[in-house]
Amino acid sequence: MTSRRQRHPGPLLAAAYAALVLLCLATLWHAGDLTLGRAPWANLARTLAELSQPSFLDAWWGPQRLEYRSDDGTLLRVEDRRVVEQAFLWALARAAWTTLQIATLGSLLAALLALPLALLAARNLGAPRPLALAARAVLGGARAVHTLVFGLLLVGIVGLGPVAGILAIALHSMGSYGKLHAEAIEALDMAAVDAVRATGAGPLQVFFHAVWPAVLPQWVGSHLYVWEFNIRDSTVLGLIGAGGLGLLISEATSLFQWGRLATLLLAVVALVAAFDALSRRVRQTLA
Amino acid sequence: MSPPQAHPDALAVQASGLRCAAGGLWVLDLPALQVPAGEHLVVVGPNGAGKSTLLRCLSGFVQPAQGQLSVLGRPLAPRPLPRAALRALRCEVGQVLQGLHLVQRLSVLENTLVGALGRLRGADAWRSWWRHYPAHEQAAAWQALQAVGMAAHAQARVDRLSGGERQKVAMARLLLQRPRLVLADEPTASLDPAAAHAACALLRQAAAGATLVTIVHDPALVPLLGSRVLGLQKGRLVLDQPASTLHPSTLADLYRGEADGGPAPALPGTQPGTQSHLHPNLYPHRHPHPHPHP
Repeated sequence: MTSRRQRHPGPLLAAAYAALVLLCLATLWHAGDLTLGRAPWANLARTLAELSQPSFLDAWWGPQRLEYRSDDGTLLRVEDRRVVEQAFLWALARAAWTTLQIATLGSLLAALLALPLALLAARNLGAPRPLALAARAVLGGARAVHTLVFGLLLVGIVGLGPVAGILAIALHSMGSYGKLHAEAIEALDMAAVDAVRATGAGPLQVFFHAVWPAVLPQWVGSHLYVWEFNIRDSTVLGLIGAGGLGLLISEATSLFQWGRLATLLLAVVALVAAFDALSRRVRQTLA
Repeated sequence: MSPPQAHPDALAVQASGLRCAAGGLWVLDLPALQVPAGEHLVVVGPNGAGKSTLLRCLSGFVQPAQGQLSVLGRPLAPRPLPRAALRALRCEVGQVLQGLHLVQRLSVLENTLVGALGRLRGADAWRSWWRHYPAHEQAAAWQALQAVGMAAHAQARVDRLSGGERQKVAMARLLLQRPRLVLADEPTASLDPAAAHAACALLRQAAAGATLVTIVHDPALVPLLGSRVLGLQKGRLVLDQPASTLHPSTLADLYRGEADGGPAPALPGTQPGTQSHLHPNLYPHRHPHPHPHP
């Protein structure tokens, strides 16, 4: 049956989506992978119980002595749990600082790299077409590859450490920034830009007098947004050896030290929440 | 040169066979137009008559599809001006557009100084990127702001101003630019009558000694703004006469032609030799190329 009438595509799209979801579920079930394991509820309860005792609280309110005994019960060594925990908290603070360093420098580098690309990619500034297409391709590619993947590549190139993290953040975020910057430019009042152009101003004068002041608040807003995002991202970068909190997280999980993991997660949440509050205040003052 | 033809250098605008196309229609079709330097010209006509297109042609923002056009002695059509020459031309052409188009987040003074950007050279040009301007341009900007009565608000941000105040800032920008040709597209739009009259006075002041082309709809403002009136309708020139001889009914007829939508009715009082010179052809003017058109 061929109907030339234009149909609303909504029901068709919904049906296609439902079919895809069912296909995913059916294939997983068929392969026997649609399972929550042997004792999910018991495991959940145990994990939650361990996570609910963050190591720093346990060290202060729990037993202070940490005894190491051999199999026959001889006392080998005694440690003060508070001293051990204090050393861990210092390590955590240093790692949090590294995370902040990676996120901050990576975000700034990304913003600077994205700026010229966004100017080329914005559809209303009339950049030469091949350059515009190239810029959009670079930005799209950068967005498509995850920070972790860039991190794995860069650890192989520049070695372990925060520089790999900074470059990984910069390369991935460049794509996000480029898109956000270009959208800010595309939303600006072209009539004002033309009015400045109409006075005979050169391209850079037009940029600094009409484009820059108009897009600056949005750029600062998106910078804070991506920066905040990168603080979260860089907590994971340590997992692949790029430094920061992730290193401690991977240590804690591989040693099943759920109390320490709880402490680390609290630190991550505090860091992100503090930055979130700060960036909201800054955005409000700039509007 | 023989007397009927003015010397080319004395013409601010010279156009012949000028045509602009959009959407399969000629939005502007001017067989001939000459504007002597120093003349103040008013352009009237209903919406969509091609008035703004004409102004955008004159400032080099629209490239005509056909015909010859030269503005202030520079040829804009049939071949487009090279970029550097276009910028040089725009330095000499001041524009006040519908909606004024100030840069919202800059101050009144900074918006005024935009008028000086085009003539800054060398180190002054790149210093202007950081909004540092030569002292004499800053002094001139203050003078311009005083002339329009906005000096007290020089440091205020433009997006905090009223419509009338923005108008004055646009005029100050124009005063600082000191153009040889001023193009004003409905500079009194959205102003109350008193502010509109004040804006016209400022515009005349900014265009003193220069050529002025203004688009307005209010018949009361026509004599304030120019000595010659051009009437456009559906892209064609239907009226070209001294402002002193313009009869209000002629303007009313010009605007009514559009309101009917279909072919414009014959206009009364259009016999040759009478005071108005309406051209008889008022029909919609199709693009001659066979574009498919629903």
